[in-house]
Amino acid sequence: MAKYAMAINLDRCQGCRACMEACKIENNTPQAVFWMYVFRTETGEFPDTKMSFMPRPCQHCNNPPCVKVCPVGARFRRGDGIVLTDADRCIGCRYCEVACPYGVNYYNWRTPTEAFAAYDVDFTDPEVEAVTGGVIPPYKNPDLDRPQGDEQRMTAGSAHSVGVMEKCTFCVHRVEKGLEPACAEVCPVHAIHFGDVEDPEGPLSTYLRERAGFQLLEELGTDPSVYYVGGGPPTAETREIERPLTEVQR
Amino acid sequence: MTTETMTTKRELPQGIGRLSTGWIAFFAAMVAVTVVGLYAYFQQLGNGLIVTGLRDLGTGGGATWGLYVAYYVYFIGVSFAGITVAALIRIFKIEKLEPVARMGELLTVVSLILGALAILADLEHPWRAIVNLFEFGRPQSPFFGTFSMVIAGYLFASLVYLYVTSRRDAARLALQPSRFQGLYRFLAAGYEDTPEQRRIDRRATFWLAIAILPLLVIAHSTVGFVFGLQVGRPGWFGSLQAPGFVVLAGVSGIGNLIMLAAIVRWATKTEKRITVDAFAWLAKLLLGLLLVYLYFTAVEILTITYQASAAEQVLSDALLKGTYAWIFWGAIVSLVAAAVLLTWKALTRRWTIAAAVAAGILVNIGAVAKRYLIVVPSQTHGQLLPYPIGSYTPNWVEFAVVFGLFSLGAIMIGVFMKVFPIVPLEEAEQ
Amino acid sequence: MTTRGWITTAIAVVGVGLMVVSYLFWTTPACNTTVACSNPRVPFAAGIFVLGVLIAFSAGAFYSVYKGGK
Ligand code: SF4
Ligand code: SF4
Repeated sequence: MAKYAMAINLDRCQGCRACMEACKIENNTPQAVFWMYVFRTETGEFPDTKMSFMPRPCQHCNNPPCVKVCPVGARFRRGDGIVLTDADRCIGCRYCEVACPYGVNYYNWRTPTEAFAAYDVDFTDPEVEAVTGGVIPPYKNPDLDRPQGDEQRMTAGSAHSVGVMEKCTFCVHRVEKGLEPACAEVCPVHAIHFGDVEDPEGPLSTYLRERAGFQLLEELGTDPSVYYVGGGPPTAETREIERPLTEVQR
Repeated sequence: MTTETMTTKRELPQGIGRLSTGWIAFFAAMVAVTVVGLYAYFQQLGNGLIVTGLRDLGTGGGATWGLYVAYYVYFIGVSFAGITVAALIRIFKIEKLEPVARMGELLTVVSLILGALAILADLEHPWRAIVNLFEFGRPQSPFFGTFSMVIAGYLFASLVYLYVTSRRDAARLALQPSRFQGLYRFLAAGYEDTPEQRRIDRRATFWLAIAILPLLVIAHSTVGFVFGLQVGRPGWFGSLQAPGFVVLAGVSGIGNLIMLAAIVRWATKTEKRITVDAFAWLAKLLLGLLLVYLYFTAVEILTITYQASAAEQVLSDALLKGTYAWIFWGAIVSLVAAAVLLTWKALTRRWTIAAAVAAGILVNIGAVAKRYLIVVPSQTHGQLLPYPIGSYTPNWVEFAVVFGLFSLGAIMIGVFMKVFPIVPLEEAEQ
Repeated sequence: MTTRGWITTAIAVVGVGLMVVSYLFWTTPACNTTVACSNPRVPFAAGIFVLGVLIAFSAGAFYSVYKGGK
């Protein structure tokens, strides 16, 4: 069986956030939900500051605390390393969210209708129509509503229905078709590599073998499937350069 | 007419079945608060938890567990009192506490129900939650112990205990005609007050008490494990978490029992039964547990400040001198004040009910604050990745639901008092 | 032992037995790496566990209420 993993080259990442955008389009995530998120951070004191960027998908841990704590087994890890959420079973206790050290889980606080209304784009508005040519974007990627994999379970890529948990799925619906996740495909500088690490001669294994890398918060023993090469892990001085999202979201 | 009533219908003790204006006013007020709580809850059920102050942590800049979880932990903690006291009476034969035993058991039952409701209020799909927990429950999740041990086992065990210890009174009340005679007969289930039956009851309650005590430790520990096993949030992981929860549960539970006993004593005019001695006993128990808890708190503060990691540093700054400082020091001050008051009373050996009640109120303020502080700050402060510092303020929906729960509990206890003697009957009261 | 004692013990043993068996063998195994770690081995194992708890403690009520042989 394959064992999927991701390598993110921090020396290459330029912080353009195209991956975040691609993820939003691929997975139709609601406002203020970022399955893929790119930290744009700085360290040091002015004028000696240094900026760095770090994309943060779900780490798809090999020893995931989120799976351990889920009281009903809605969060599960497949044999190929992808960690998913069964949207039909999740009771929305949000335990996985507090247990995950990486803060990658998003709860559906609103009904989908409201969540998308919050984007506040009226596609029938003549001004918008002038840009879109009258095309109303698909409301939902139809793949997301289908159960995936051998076990045929939902992956919480689906529906964004109120009261359940969702997070990055490594684009399992694309992986099942033999495609890369949307973020990996769209990255203009090819900073994100996706593949099978169990295949010793595969491109990802080779790529990782040739470079020194690290896993985020290695010391916690979660053993992420996401490896970072180049750059370095965030330190205590690392701070985000953007305003907290709290106000935007409320 | 009057004489006839007098002869055929003796009044039930402790004001059972007679509604005073005071009681009706209390009942109406509590119903009103509960209705407001229900209204708030239905807002949330229709629109999603977006109507509360909760938000995603990380990029969401909020806390995903808030007031509901804090009060869930608090309510489960309060349940500690009843069964402990009841069990202590059975196992160590402390006669003085006999009159408060039943209200303690009642307090346990009610607070467990409230705890269960508080956690259900936190879920968007309560029905799906109940079904899925039964169908797919995973023991590996600390929530499993909470839900099976606490809600099912502990609650049911307390009900059985309450029932077994109430049967004799039911049988006695069933002898006289009254509005509830049928109910008493049903509850008594053919009880005959023979020495043999008394021996059987004593044995049954003794073994139930023995069986419940370990359950009690497990139950309160699992609530601690919900937090204590998580490395992902600063300030949670630690082996002191579970014992700390058990002890603070005891503090808040005994504190609540003291308050309830004082109210019942006044409302049912049972001053002769519930003596100052009983309060003194409870207060001493409270003092013991409180001192242990203060010791735990000192250890805890030292651990998160002495050689803290960067994330824990952020957290302890927020707790000790930042956003949460007023709650933290408020809790410490009220707990220490209660300890000082009780110690002073213990040294002078002049116990008063007022002092015990004051200590009960103080420790409960402290307990609520400490529960809030264990749940919330670790989510908003000290994230392990460079997320911005978050903030969380409970809004009116959450407060309304929590107050609604409290008033629901008051209704349950109030109704019980009007249907069944909350203070066990004396031999002479027959 | 009296009939009362026997029946009470039987109820308690059935209850505790159900608890032990369902907890150890029927619920989801304690692991987190495969899909099997998310499904109970017997459906409603958690419910059976809770049922076991209820049965075990109802032994106490039975012991007190039972009026055998009279
Ligand atoms: S990063 Fe978080 S959500 Fe993803 S697998 Fe690890 S613990 Fe679970
Ligand atoms: S929110 Fe859903 S997926 Fe997460 S722990 Fe709770 S039930 Fe499991």
